[in-house]
Amino acid sequence: MKKTKNPNFSALGSSSTQYKYEYAPELLETFENKHQEEDYWVALNADEFTSLCPITNQPDFATLIINYIPSVKMVESKSLKLYLFSFINNGEFHEEVVNKIGKDLAKLMSPKYLEVIGLFYPRGNVSIHPTFSCDNGEKKYKKIAKHRFANRNLNPQRIG
Amino acid sequence: MTFRKIKIKENSNVSYSSPELLFLGESGQPYRGTLYVSFRSQEETFDLRDFKKYLTSLRQRTFNAEDIAYEIFSTIAKNISVKKLGVIVDLSARGGIQQRVGFGTEFAPIKKANIFQLG
Repeated sequence: MKKTKNPNFSALGSSSTQYKYEYAPELLETFENKHQEEDYWVALNADEFTSLCPITNQPDFATLIINYIPSVKMVESKSLKLYLFSFINNGEFHEEVVNKIGKDLAKLMSPKYLEVIGLFYPRGNVSIHPTFSCDNGEKKYKKIAKHRFANRNLNPQRIG
Repeated sequence: MTFRKIKIKENSNVSYSSPELLFLGESGQPYRGTLYVSFRSQEETFDLRDFKKYLTSLRQRTFNAEDIAYEIFSTIAKNISVKKLGVIVDLSARGGIQQRVGFGTEFAPIKKANIFQLG
């Protein structure tokens, strides 16, 4: 089958991928949700996330779990991969990273509901698992957000 | 890179592992992997803090994925005298292909469960 390059995507299908090693939200790209009348979950799991401690410069590692209910726009996964790699030399606390990613994705897609969970590897015997969540303000999705916020750790999602 | 030497009993079977190995592939893409090191001591090992700093330094360096086990093997071998040194790196899948590379003495790495997940 012949490979076709979609002009809407600069990363997906490109024969020469450029990797950025400094925070680069401009890498994120979207495509249109063709089932906007439906409510459905999209889960994106990234278990190679890495950034730096802003104080010691030591590397941090995490599995990131992004769950969302799409509205019109959906994030293109290769652009998401490149965006997440761009944190490699970024010095930020775990809580800041998760909130920053959540806000970038919310701004990009305006989803009905979105949550970003960071399962960071332990440092000094303590592992930090921040969760960002937001909704589009509609009653149905506010209710989902409230329920999931209150029940955050009852059924933790697992990878692998 | 120089590691400080630590004196230990001879013929101790020593294994180290780290799920936090990161380096840059030839394309510039970051590669994640789990590192396993095994050897029998000749009365010495290396300082683990120095070893951690060395592993951290690899995230700025570029390698063919197949050469990463040799890089770590040769650095250890330059720093301490050991017997039966072996290095294995399990890399995260790329394009659906899982890759394991090893150098030196073969051994069976013991995998630990994910320590950061809730039980």
